[in-house]
Amino acid sequence: MDVGLVAIGAGIAMISAGCSSIGEGMIAAKAIEGMYRNPEMANKLRSNMIVGIALDETCGIYSLLVAILIIFVLGAK
Amino acid sequence: MQEIFNHFFDFDLPGEVIMSLILIGVLIIFCFVIFILVKRADPLEKPKGLLALVEIGVDKVDGLVEDNMGKGFPNFGAYVCAIALFIFFSFIIGITGLPSPLGYLGVPLSLALCTFVMIHATSVKYTKWKYFKRYVDPIPVFLPVNLLGMWAPLLSLTLRLFGNAFAGWVLLSIVYWSLGSLSNLIFANLPAGPGSIFIAPLVTPVLHAYFDVFSGAIQTLVFMFLTMLFVAQEKPEEDKVEEQLALA
Repeated sequence: MDVGLVAIGAGIAMISAGCSSIGEGMIAAKAIEGMYRNPEMANKLRSNMIVGIALDETCGIYSLLVAILIIFVLGAK
Repeated sequence: MQEIFNHFFDFDLPGEVIMSLILIGVLIIFCFVIFILVKRADPLEKPKGLLALVEIGVDKVDGLVEDNMGKGFPNFGAYVCAIALFIFFSFIIGITGLPSPLGYLGVPLSLALCTFVMIHATSVKYTKWKYFKRYVDPIPVFLPVNLLGMWAPLLSLTLRLFGNAFAGWVLLSIVYWSLGSLSNLIFANLPAGPGSIFIAPLVTPVLHAYFDVFSGAIQTLVFMFLTMLFVAQEKPEEDKVEEQLALA
């Protein structure tokens, strides 16, 4: 198989990471908005924000995993 | 005798599994030391040193469990503590440059399987025979969908840990390899072995701090939270309502 095509495929798989980072930015923005609106809830909001961001980051990690597998499994053939 | 000694290390175990067994051994010894310290401590005096640190940690975890799960799970903090210690120290092993035990799919799978079994055991405990009703909810046509959806927590918990550890290790290996080649080019008159070690130690500590310590701490926290939330949602809500009615 052509190595260049494999690299392009891995790059396309990483588009998901960009989408998940947009989601992370939205989560952080909303959480900070909430913290300024209601500073007493800041601690609870922060822990919820971290969990939400980590859940979202999982999507990006899946795509990174797929890209790595594509490079090392298909690229080695 | 020589024969036995030669075949002693012939287990067909991968390195990551041996590493996680060693880690479990170290953690068990640590727990026994804490146990002895607790038994010997005077309850009327202030705890100090290691004991104070451990008490703060256990207090925090118990507080988290009570915040997220309510009062129905008095001993759940022990399970969460054990899981959190194992996951965090597995990530910390990555600092030494060895692959983390979580980079081998079997290790995070077995951790997630513990939580998965606990979810269903809690469900059986609270709903008895109505447990099987969840598979035909809301109408029997949804049976295949529910049977597939049952595995979602297991898959997401496994792949989250595995993806983090494995991706971090692969990225660090690529950085080490490329910086080694760069160093080889610059120090070309040294032989290839010693010539490749000069640049990598200046760059990689930051990456280790991010991928092993920071990412490890966050993933530990997330695994704890998800375990607590998944198990807590299996408990029916009526008890809470009754408690509130009794208080009011």
